[in-house]
Amino acid sequence: MNLRKFCLTIFLLTIVLYCFARTDTPGRLSDSLNLKASYNSSLIYPGARLGAEYSVKSFKVVKTKKSGKMKDFDKERFVSANLGWYHHPYFHDNFYFTAGWTMRRTKSTGFFTEFSPEIGLSRTFLGGTTYKVDNNGNVSVVRLAGYYYALLSIGGGVGYDFSKIRHKPFMLFYKFNLLSLYPYNSTIYLRPAMEIGVIYKLHFFHHVKSKF
Amino acid sequence: MLSQNFKAMQRIIIGFLLFLLFSCQKEKITIGTNVFETFYLENAGASMRLLVEGNTASHTFLIIVHGGPGTGSFVYDTQYISQNIENKYAVVFWDQRNAGASQGNSNGNNLNLPQMTDDLKKVIELIKYRYGQNSSVFILGHSFGGLLTASFMTTDQNQSMVKGWIMVDGSHNYPLNDTLTRLMLLKVGQQQIDSNKHVSDWQLIISYCNAHPGNFTLKESDQLENYAEKAETYIPEVNQFNLIAAMEAISIEDDLPITSILFNYLYSGNAGFNAALAKTQFSSLLYKVVTPTLLLYGEYDFICPKELGEDILNRITAAEKKMVISPVSGHNLMFQDEVLFCNEVNDFIAKYR
Repeated sequence: MNLRKFCLTIFLLTIVLYCFARTDTPGRLSDSLNLKASYNSSLIYPGARLGAEYSVKSFKVVKTKKSGKMKDFDKERFVSANLGWYHHPYFHDNFYFTAGWTMRRTKSTGFFTEFSPEIGLSRTFLGGTTYKVDNNGNVSVVRLAGYYYALLSIGGGVGYDFSKIRHKPFMLFYKFNLLSLYPYNSTIYLRPAMEIGVIYKLHFFHHVKSKF
Repeated sequence: MLSQNFKAMQRIIIGFLLFLLFSCQKEKITIGTNVFETFYLENAGASMRLLVEGNTASHTFLIIVHGGPGTGSFVYDTQYISQNIENKYAVVFWDQRNAGASQGNSNGNNLNLPQMTDDLKKVIELIKYRYGQNSSVFILGHSFGGLLTASFMTTDQNQSMVKGWIMVDGSHNYPLNDTLTRLMLLKVGQQQIDSNKHVSDWQLIISYCNAHPGNFTLKESDQLENYAEKAETYIPEVNQFNLIAAMEAISIEDDLPITSILFNYLYSGNAGFNAALAKTQFSSLLYKVVTPTLLLYGEYDFICPKELGEDILNRITAAEKKMVISPVSGHNLMFQDEVLFCNEVNDFIAKYR
């Protein structure tokens, strides 16, 4: 699959997921939309990530424990679109766009866990001046040298939803993602990345606003 | 008002990102005594990283041609080499294609010896472009790097680009290499058994060598190398080298991309071109070499036995040639006998630069 086809696939996938979400959940877009921003660290290397997630499904689960106690939690499913970046000195800067599916389970106390597979496109920029030498020995500088890669990511994380008890429109989260870039030198490149960030609930903002 | 703020923020973010990109890729050439700079050479589908450290003001460059294939150059960047060679000359740590921090897409078809020979030629042209055409360049091949430098030295007029060729535990002839490894394993193995040292380990090795007398397949060649690697650790006279400890010391300090190094190593080590390498030899072309040559070998190098060095010494027509054997080294003389290594390399460069 060439790069153009791959980009088109990612774009169409995002649109399809979005349309699917829209038919399932009527109402204003912002009623089901969360915005995400995070520090995207890879070991000691800095980065950042911005994204939006759109709620596709949301339902409450109530279970009775053996002890007779009731246990309830919310299950939510989101489609997401994210733009990430990390900086690895002397190696590369990587900008990547992903579309993903997030599964989140939130306890009534506000604590949540989530898992999300994502697919996307990465563009790296090499961490140093890049030269080309032709067969006559002439040297030239390559501008914005780097590569496009297909990207697959899986991630899992934990967090706290401040809207549950404290009625604040945001969540804090920590998430571990494993990025894989392909084809990287005819093989793959794996990169662990850790996110610490905030998710802002736009629909909560609307509900709160409507009270006044 | 809100949209104006949004636009302003958008401009700031885009400006910041462009600043980051251009500052990383902006050309910077430093002439000094304690230089550390990284740049890349793009050639035939690969962007190969070059790290230049040390005294560029000397206008003398020692290019490390690492082993493997696929090992990467990071491991050679030791503190001892930094303190004892880089203070006098500049050392170029070149990550070959599909190795170390080198990057690219589907470029496996270009992973072959003629292409890598062309890469090395272009590395030298790039060094001279950056630091001056009058720069003196020396190439140092270790292990597989020996085969690559032998290919470079015997191709066209390449050797005129360098002032000297240094071979450290290198191989220029893989079929001969396998034969010599087998013979050494048999000879030293029997001596060790007679001395009652690691008897069961050596018996296993000797039995394999006896069952595989010659005309080796790639699988046999790999197994012999595997035994050769182990054999070195059974010899008490050898200063043992711990690769993992060396990696831990270097990795964070040098911002090494660990997973890139690992996956490149796994890919290159198992790539199809290894079958062609197993049949490759440059002994018959060594008569072409007239450039000063220094050969450094470990007495207990089973992987590339010292007789390979003797073959080079006897075949090259260079008037200035020298071979030194370290009595305490195996396959990694530059780490196992650092003093001898740095002294010999420094003397050689000082004489021929």
